[in-house]
Amino acid sequence: MDVSDSVLVHLRHVAALPDLTATRYELESEIGRGGMGVVYAARDRQLGRRVALKILDAAMAGEPQIIAQLEHPAIVPVYETGTLPDERVFYAMKLVTGARLDHYLSGSPSLAERLRVIRRVGEALAFAHTQNIIHRDLKPQNVMVGEFGEVYVMDWGVDAIVGTPAFRAPDRRLDRRSDIYALGALLQFMLPAAAPLPLSAIADKAMKADPGARYPDVPELLADIGRFEEGLAVEAWSEPLWHRLRRFGARNAALLWLLTAYAGVKFLLFFCEIFKGIAADLETDGERSQR
Amino acid sequence: MDKDTAIGGPHGRFPSTQVSLLEAASAGLPGEALDRVMALYWKPVYKYIRFRFGKDNEDAKDLTQSFFAAALQREFFARFDPVKASFRTYLRMAVERFAASQHAAAKRQKRGGNVEFGPVEEQAATAESPERVFEREWQHQLFSLALDDLRAHCDTSGRQLHFQIFEAYDLAEGGRPSYAALAARHSIAETAVTNHLAWVRRMLRAFVAERLRGVTSGEQELRKEMRSLWM
Repeated sequence: MDVSDSVLVHLRHVAALPDLTATRYELESEIGRGGMGVVYAARDRQLGRRVALKILDAAMAGEPQIIAQLEHPAIVPVYETGTLPDERVFYAMKLVTGARLDHYLSGSPSLAERLRVIRRVGEALAFAHTQNIIHRDLKPQNVMVGEFGEVYVMDWGVDAIVGTPAFRAPDRRLDRRSDIYALGALLQFMLPAAAPLPLSAIADKAMKADPGARYPDVPELLADIGRFEEGLAVEAWSEPLWHRLRRFGARNAALLWLLTAYAGVKFLLFFCEIFKGIAADLETDGERSQR
Repeated sequence: MDKDTAIGGPHGRFPSTQVSLLEAASAGLPGEALDRVMALYWKPVYKYIRFRFGKDNEDAKDLTQSFFAAALQREFFARFDPVKASFRTYLRMAVERFAASQHAAAKRQKRGGNVEFGPVEEQAATAESPERVFEREWQHQLFSLALDDLRAHCDTSGRQLHFQIFEAYDLAEGGRPSYAALAARHSIAETAVTNHLAWVRRMLRAFVAERLRGVTSGEQELRKEMRSLWM
C-alpha cells in the first residue's frame, strides 16, 4: 500500500502518539521532546486537572522511580507512573506553567533575581547529589521559572543523555563535577553583559577543564555566590587592591561617611582655634602698642 | 494485555516474531535475511542508483538486482559490523561502492562512443541529495509494508471496521472527516472511533517495529531506528 509524503508525515506522527485509552489521561498537545522521550500536556479525567505526561522508551523504565526519589521544592513532583500497551513507560507529573529560563531572561530580570534563580537551581542539584543522582544535561531549556517565581529543574538525565555542548563538561566520565561545570555554564549564561568580575570568576572556576580545579561540591559554589551578595571577597578570585578598597568602601559606606564628617568637623574646629589664637595675639599686640 | 497487542509475545518490548538480521544470518539463513532486506530496501536502492549515478530505469533495475545477487554471494551480512554503523548506512555505502565500480566499468566499455547517462527527470526536478532520496524511499517502503501487514492482520482478526476508520481518517489525502462524522457513518459511538483509531495506530507502530527488527542488528539498533522515525 503506497502512501504519499503528506500521509507518511501524518502516520509518523500519529503512530508515535501514546495510546492512553486504558489510563485516566487524555492527550492535549506535545510540549517538549528529548533524546529518549516526549512530554505531552494531558488532562487527568479523574481529578480534573492538567498534568505533564512524559512518554519514554521501554528501556528507560527506571527513570520515573529515580525522579520520584527527588522530593524537593525545585524538582517537579511525579504523580503516577505506568506502562502503555506497547510497553513504553509513562509518568505523570505536575504541569509547570511559566517560562523556560532562556525565555525568562529576555525579560531582563535584575542581577539579584538572576542570582536567586541560580541559587534555587543549585539547591536542587545539591539535593540530588546527596541522593547520588546527577543531572547530566543542565541547561537553560531544562529550567522553568513558574508564575509565582518558583524555579524547577527538569529532565533529570537518567536516560544516558550526555549533555548539551555549551553546557557539557569535557569530562570522559560524567559525575557531580560535570554537573558543577554545567551550573557554572548556566551562571555565565545568566549573567548580564557587564557582569561583576567576581561572579564571572565563580563561573570560570566552576567551568575549569580539570574537574579537580572546580568547586568540590555545589554548596561551595553557592557559598561563593553568597559571599558576593554580602559584599565579601569570593574564593574564586584573587582581587586586586583597588577592588578590595572599593568593596570595602561599598560595604562600609555609612562608617566612612561618619568618619569623613567627624574629620571635617575636627578640621574646622582646628582652624577655628588657630584663627581665635591669631585674633587674640593681634588684640594683645594692639593693646601693647596703644600703651 | 489484549492478545492482539502481544504479537511479539508478552515479554517483548517490540513485536518479535522475526529474529534480528544478524541472528538470521548467523543461523545460516542468509537467503531469508536477504529476502527481508530486499522487501524493504529494493526500491530505496533502485532510487539511490538512479539519482546518484544518473541511470535510466532499466539500467538502475539491473544494477539493483545485481547488487542484491552479489550481496548474497559475497558474505554481505558477515561483514556488517553494527558497532561501526547502522545497517541502513552500511547498505547504502555498499550500494555506493558496488554501483560506482559498475558505473566505471560501463563507462570504460562505452569509451569512444561518447555515450553518457543524462540526469533522470526526477533528479533534475529536485534539489534533494541521493542520500535524502534513499532515506525518504526507505521510510515510504517501511510504512507501505507495515500497512500491508496491518490490513492483513485486521482482515484475519475480524477488525475490518477498525481498518476502515483508520483508512478514512489517517490515510486520507487532504481533509479528514470528524470523529462525529465517522461515528455516524458507521453507526458507532464517537468514543469507539477514538478507541479504534488508538488500537490501529498502536498496531501500525508494532508492525513497523516488526519490519525493522528483521533488518537491524539487534535491540539497540532497532530502538535507535524507531526513535528516528517518530515525529
